Amino acid sequence: MNIREARFSVIDLETTGLNLLKDEILSIAIVPMRGTKILAGESYYTFVRPSNYDLKSMKIHGIDPKTIENAPKFSEIAEEIRKKIDDTIVVGHAIEIDVDFLKKAFKAQGIELKNKSIDIALLEKWLCDRLGDRKCTTDLSLDSLIKDYNLSVRFRHDALADAFLTAQIFQIQLLKLLKYGLTSLERVLSIIDSIKMTRIDFIF
Amino acid sequence: MISPPKEYMRRIKPFSFLTEDELNILVENLDVEAYEKGTAIVRKGKQSNYIFLVFSGVVGLYDDDTLIDTVSKGEIFGILSAITGNPFSLSAVAMDDTICYRIKKEAFKKVFESNPKFSAFFSTFINRRFRSFTNLLKETEGAFQEEIYLTRVKEIVSKEPVVCKPDTTVEEAAKVMLERNVGSIVVVENGRPIGILTDHDLKKVLISGDKAAKVTEFMNSPVISVDEEQPVFEAYLTLINKGINYIVVVGDEGVKKVRGVITSKDILTQFEPSSSLIALYRKIRKANTIDELKNHLVGIRKAVAGLAIKGVHFYELSRMITSVYDSTVVSVIKIVEEEFKQKGIDLPDYVWIHVGSSGRKEQIIATDQDNCLIHDGDGEVMLEFAERVNEVLDYIGIPKCTANYMASNPKWNLTLDEWKDNFDRWFDSLTGENIRYLSVFLDLRPIYGDQKLYLALIDHVKKSVTNQAIRFLALDATSIEPPIGFFGIKGLEKGLDIKLYGIYPIANGVRVLALDNKILDTTNTKERIEILRDMGVLSEERAREILESYEFLQELRLKHQSISVSAGREGDNVIRLDDIDRIHAYVLKEALKIVSSFQNFIRGKYRIEGGF
Repeated sequence: MNIREARFSVIDLETTGLNLLKDEILSIAIVPMRGTKILAGESYYTFVRPSNYDLKSMKIHGIDPKTIENAPKFSEIAEEIRKKIDDTIVVGHAIEIDVDFLKKAFKAQGIELKNKSIDIALLEKWLCDRLGDRKCTTDLSLDSLIKDYNLSVRFRHDALADAFLTAQIFQIQLLKLLKYGLTSLERVLSIIDSIKMTRIDFIF
Repeated sequence: MISPPKEYMRRIKPFSFLTEDELNILVENLDVEAYEKGTAIVRKGKQSNYIFLVFSGVVGLYDDDTLIDTVSKGEIFGILSAITGNPFSLSAVAMDDTICYRIKKEAFKKVFESNPKFSAFFSTFINRRFRSFTNLLKETEGAFQEEIYLTRVKEIVSKEPVVCKPDTTVEEAAKVMLERNVGSIVVVENGRPIGILTDHDLKKVLISGDKAAKVTEFMNSPVISVDEEQPVFEAYLTLINKGINYIVVVGDEGVKKVRGVITSKDILTQFEPSSSLIALYRKIRKANTIDELKNHLVGIRKAVAGLAIKGVHFYELSRMITSVYDSTVVSVIKIVEEEFKQKGIDLPDYVWIHVGSSGRKEQIIATDQDNCLIHDGDGEVMLEFAERVNEVLDYIGIPKCTANYMASNPKWNLTLDEWKDNFDRWFDSLTGENIRYLSVFLDLRPIYGDQKLYLALIDHVKKSVTNQAIRFLALDATSIEPPIGFFGIKGLEKGLDIKLYGIYPIANGVRVLALDNKILDTTNTKERIEILRDMGVLSEERAREILESYEFLQELRLKHQSISVSAGREGDNVIRLDDIDRIHAYVLKEALKIVSSFQNFIRGKYRIEGGF
């Protein structure tokens, strides 16, 4: 499939922590893309009420416990989210962790998540190595990419803002791929897979 | 929930005029598209469902193959088509990799129709009404309101408090008030204000009281007071709400000691933008000595800078400042005349003249002396006289002209016949130097002395000017062109001298037309344009465009210099892209296009095609 026809879901999650076994999703932001177009008007953002949560982690995220108490449970929104991301490529920064959390949450609802995914940090690394058109920062954190792509904003980020900024980075990356002559989605996915195999862990 | 597109748009004029709800409507109907270099975004003659806000990159607007305009970061295109429903009149092509926010045109139209300020912004743009455009921006910046909130009461208390003890008689209190020239006196006991006696209370005493009575019988008590640390606005509110004319200012700690009294007039004169200049003007008119003049002139630059930043328009501001400087010069001349009289030296008839920007009544911040003199007698004496005047002006704070266009220069201190010869020679031999002299001395304005000498010279110039001279001046006025190129204004990142590329071309071009149409007794560029318009030399449309551009350029320069002056630096004329926001850069580009079109008009009129 041509990249221009591909459908993407740029996702950012907030969780109670990074331990897949005991931590849970707190919020989900999805910004859909069609080819290089970011469908900002169709953005989706929701808080999620975890089954076990304590106030300590709430402080870290700056999320009001009241908001969480009134939020839907994942089971209530699973179908809605599945529809949104069905048949799309999931895109995000350090997306593997997010995908693992989503898989686990969906599995609890008896749904198997089969979406392919693209990590913009891995893609960035490949673009740097291959195109060498800009300084390859060893720092591939989202904040650093936002800065490199001149997308710095003056307000505090929440999941939706991060998802949108991620989409903007991915959009420019897609433009670079197209200019490089890389128009096939399958080719891009296989590149991502190959980096995953060979990558040396980097620090997020 | 935070939406980056919303936060981005909120910071861009005119989206900043929108309410939260209106912004939400736009964001719900927004997508972000990336265009590779060379991609057509919309083709001429086609409809688009969107209006476009450029987020990064450059978009070229083409009429077939001709590039008409470029649009870059923070700028918008496709509005006219969205509002009128007409197809695009130009093609939009990405000239570099470009990212645009696209807003569905129905949503944009809805917001456009619901918010008058938002739509007014675009209308002023489309019709090139820069003045109303600047007004619109000023309105939102609200300089006046801000200051009344920020200034503290103690900053406007100027006089020592006038106080008396409770056992003072009304008569004694009235005497003190008269001596100190105040309208109220505060009655104080143990350092604390217990009442206030005002002019109004004295009237009551006059009609029905006894002037030997104690002030406590007639004073207003308790005293209404305001802490000196409070914002002026609080004091103003109290005055209005209590319906009183005077409010006592007290210290904010310990015993509330009286610091002074302020009136609503004190507050209003402080915050009415031009009041500081009017006050200055009055003081200068009253001044009798050189040092008094010097004292009053100190701080004029800061006062002017303050007014410019507050948003007083150039035409109004330059008029006020010209009055202040003119009366200063007249006062100095009179003082020096008196000195010469004391020494027993007789002066012949003469007229003191201002030339250049001062002659045009367009000097504002970077003011220096530009003067000359026509006399009818002893050159030696007049030179001595002019030297003294130039010295004194320099001493009181109007610096000497670095190019030495001053009456103390023997070249510019001449009899009527010598001046006539000068102009004849300049018109006859159009060297670069002579053209420069003409551009300075054709803007001459009598300040003080015998008008007959001036009128005789003007009359002579009108008769002796040649067509050849006018064409040379026209060539000169069009030789420096504004650098508008494919990518907007060339070199704006590094800085653009707007005096050289914008203001001079207009002033010089207008002077050529004025000379050709014998309107030399008017020197001010705006007034010349208006006369040329009334004569039919300039069309209504062109006259309006030039006036709007000239004012915009002057204001941009003024604001730029004001910021430097307020920060204690010397101002220059170089505007950098970083100094101004996108929307001002956009208007600057439009204004320079008008300058360019005006130059073409001059070229056509005087048949100049790349020289002669």
